[in-house]
Amino acid sequence: MPLSVVVQIAVSGALMGLVYALIAYGFQLTYATSKSLNFGQGELVMVSAFVSLTLLGTGLPYAVVVPLGILFGAVLGAIVERVAVRLALQQKNDGWILLTIIVGLFLVSFAENVWGRDDRPFPTPIPDDPIHILGVDVTWLEISVAVGVLAIMALVEVLKRRTLLGKAFEAVSADRDAAELMGISATRTVTLSYALSGAVAAVAGILVSPITTVGPTMAAALVLKAFSVAVVAGLESGFGVVLVGLILGALEGLASLYIGSGWRETPGLLLLILALAVRPTGLFGKAKIRKV
Amino acid sequence: MLKRLILVRGAEIALFVVLGALPLVVDSPFVLGLLTLLAIYGVALIGLDVTVGYLGQINLAQVAMLGLGAYLAGIAATRYGVGIPLAVLLSGVFCTVVGALLALPALRLEGPQFALATLSFTALCATALNELEWLTNGAQGLSITRPLLLGHALDARDFFWLCTAILALVWLAMRNLMTSQWGRAFEALRDSPIATDAMGVGTYRHKVAAFAFGSGLGGAAGALYAFNFVYLQPMTFVYELTVILLLGVVLGGRKSLWGAVVGAVLVAVLVALLPNLLSSPLLFRVFSGIAFALALVAGVRGLVRRKAAAFRALAPIAATLTLVVGSFLASNTEDWRKAIFALLLFSVVVGLPEGLMGFASAGLARLFRVAPPALPPPAPLDAVLPARPADGSVLLKLDALSCHFGGVRAVDGVDLTVKAGTIHGLIGPNGSGKSTLVNVVSGLYAPSGGELRLRGAALPRGKPVAAAKAGIARTFQNLQLFGGMTALENVMVALRGAWRVPLPLVLLGLGRLEELRGRAAALALLELVGLRGEARTRATDLTYGAQRFLEIARALARRPELLILDEPAAGLAQPDVQRLLEIIRRVQQRGITTVLIEHHMDVVSELCETVTVLDGGKVIAEGSPAQVKRDAKVITAYLGAAEPDAAPPGAAPAPAAPAGAP
Repeated sequence: MPLSVVVQIAVSGALMGLVYALIAYGFQLTYATSKSLNFGQGELVMVSAFVSLTLLGTGLPYAVVVPLGILFGAVLGAIVERVAVRLALQQKNDGWILLTIIVGLFLVSFAENVWGRDDRPFPTPIPDDPIHILGVDVTWLEISVAVGVLAIMALVEVLKRRTLLGKAFEAVSADRDAAELMGISATRTVTLSYALSGAVAAVAGILVSPITTVGPTMAAALVLKAFSVAVVAGLESGFGVVLVGLILGALEGLASLYIGSGWRETPGLLLLILALAVRPTGLFGKAKIRKV
Repeated sequence: MLKRLILVRGAEIALFVVLGALPLVVDSPFVLGLLTLLAIYGVALIGLDVTVGYLGQINLAQVAMLGLGAYLAGIAATRYGVGIPLAVLLSGVFCTVVGALLALPALRLEGPQFALATLSFTALCATALNELEWLTNGAQGLSITRPLLLGHALDARDFFWLCTAILALVWLAMRNLMTSQWGRAFEALRDSPIATDAMGVGTYRHKVAAFAFGSGLGGAAGALYAFNFVYLQPMTFVYELTVILLLGVVLGGRKSLWGAVVGAVLVAVLVALLPNLLSSPLLFRVFSGIAFALALVAGVRGLVRRKAAAFRALAPIAATLTLVVGSFLASNTEDWRKAIFALLLFSVVVGLPEGLMGFASAGLARLFRVAPPALPPPAPLDAVLPARPADGSVLLKLDALSCHFGGVRAVDGVDLTVKAGTIHGLIGPNGSGKSTLVNVVSGLYAPSGGELRLRGAALPRGKPVAAAKAGIARTFQNLQLFGGMTALENVMVALRGAWRVPLPLVLLGLGRLEELRGRAAALALLELVGLRGEARTRATDLTYGAQRFLEIARALARRPELLILDEPAAGLAQPDVQRLLEIIRRVQQRGITTVLIEHHMDVVSELCETVTVLDGGKVIAEGSPAQVKRDAKVITAYLGAAEPDAAPPGAAPAPAAPAGAP
């Protein structure tokens, strides 16, 4: 096989990997404030994409639809927190794992019935023409994904570091009870982090849909890889998910090239189990000292 | 005693007799299929309950074990002519090994990461089953012929009896396991992994064992699954079934064999009946109406009695109301199957967090009041805690020991000698490195440098289990009791050398004698600390002082060479301090060497021959309590000095640290 084809597939895979990184980043946002995450995050991506598609169908321009889709994702994220997470967090148990899975199940069924079971194309004003960079063909669409992912992550990071809200995130993350005593509502901060995470999921959906098409099954496919990225990179480092996402995406492309497309998810899963054996806190996670 | 036997065992026997007799009465193939599925799910759920209930970890890999077991049994039987019993055994053993291999890395994780790792494993298995076409026939599915059993072809009823018999065996084995030291260790490590390690039980080892055991049951259930349906498809063993199995455990009730079987009934019935229910709109409307009525009654009752949080009462009502509205709006209820399933599950998970069995057993316990079995008389103390020679030889020796965290030198070059049979005091202001020092000695922290020797032999570094086995036992400044267990169990789980019966014999129920002896030994230790009367009280329900004493009894169960007491008097009321003094003296009479960290200077003065004073991670003084109290450096360390060397000689010597200061 010519090397150029291999490089081509690795680069395309890596750019897709950035979408997994963005979804994994959504896990990090809620994990930071509440040590919990939405197992139905993939469904959030899918439903937000479908809603955006419907809005586009009403004739609204793309530039209006994107913010509306993101807003929808944020609202849905907040709803997930209220319905499936808050009670379990108050009682300090793992009940949210099961409940977010259940909410995800509901959303899949909802999408199947409202929008149908078939995959649908997602129109976009961004052209699909390839351009030639250093011997590799890259489409404008793929570039838009990369730029979009990195831009939204940079924006959220700036928000977290420069605003009072970001400080509240950090405070609740460090010590929930102490933050409450200092007058920060931990509950509200957690809700906000879920809303932010939902918005990020919506962005991921809008960015990836023109490439993959939209359908009820996209949720499971995306979220599994995002899980791998999140666990391998650790649930703390934004830079980590980008790097791991790129590598995983490239590996995935190469696996389907060399072993067969049915195996494309395998490298991620193997990488995950291997990484756990070597570094349980993730490659970029911090080890904790246990205090007695 | 007899009443207990009749009620508890009688209910179990009745369950299996009724199950076994049902096919004689009902001969509809549909019901028989449902019952068989119930028995198979029962085995899988009992296995899943080990991780979800006892370890408290959300395990999403059980369905992968079910799939692996099913395919292994199917392929072994079809291609190699392996019989049913061997195939079930083979699948069980194979999945135990796979479970252990998966657990080795995955169980270093906690909470969500563990769930993610197990979910990934499930996805990996589904991919492999789908893609390895030469072995599994891929997506086309694998057809299996059900082998003969002892020359007989099994019809549906025979096969159901086989599954029920296996469920009964698994039930028995599981009950034997969970009432043995293994069951105690599983519960202990969930309550306090640190103390489980420090008591030499070994958190990690037991976690891996528990996961492997549960996975093995999943594999065995998979083999039965294969012979039941005689046709396998990779897509069966994916996400959806994972969720269903997990829900079976949660809905049935965790940490309960009955719960697992009730969960299996729910899962089997729900999965089998929901399609029928949905085919008729009228039936579905009636069903959702009933669900709504139940949620409404339970919710309003919870609200009126102020027992349930508002969300817990209202959310199921809202969910079932959605169901009712949906049943009138939607024309194609079949298509909404997943959503209906989700709404039902949501209502039950939110409304009944303890599961059906948790809910029912509270009521049953109130109804019958079964007394626990009587306790044996305590063993003689000489047998439990043989006297050691207090010859004054060197027991513990630390040389230039240090422990640094980044730039913080918590322990910085400490030399210390503790003589056998003595009570050695270790004092110092807050942050002087006392707790870090004992954490290093007991293996919780690895030292950055220096030597530790116990009776001349190097102590393991940074390995709490090995340190405990070398003869070091400790209590914790912030109590680390196994809260959900009784005082007696807390001591039993730590007993050294009492648990020798190997696992297979324990599963067969041959650990009873050992169990009785363990109880007697633990009672003797409880008597030593004055808690014999509280043997059946849960550790969390004990008074604060009693909890402190229980930690000492638990540490003594290790039959230690060296007992480390980390601020045992912190927060104790005066009468309890007197009891503590008495306990420590009794321990000394058994020849056990004690290192006592304490802020109460009167306690230290009364008990210790030698006191070592730490400050800033270094030893600043050592000697008799009286000498140390007069030492200028000690006074400066505790009270500070206006100018260097200006501490007035003979000034009030007692360090003024308040009781209970960390």
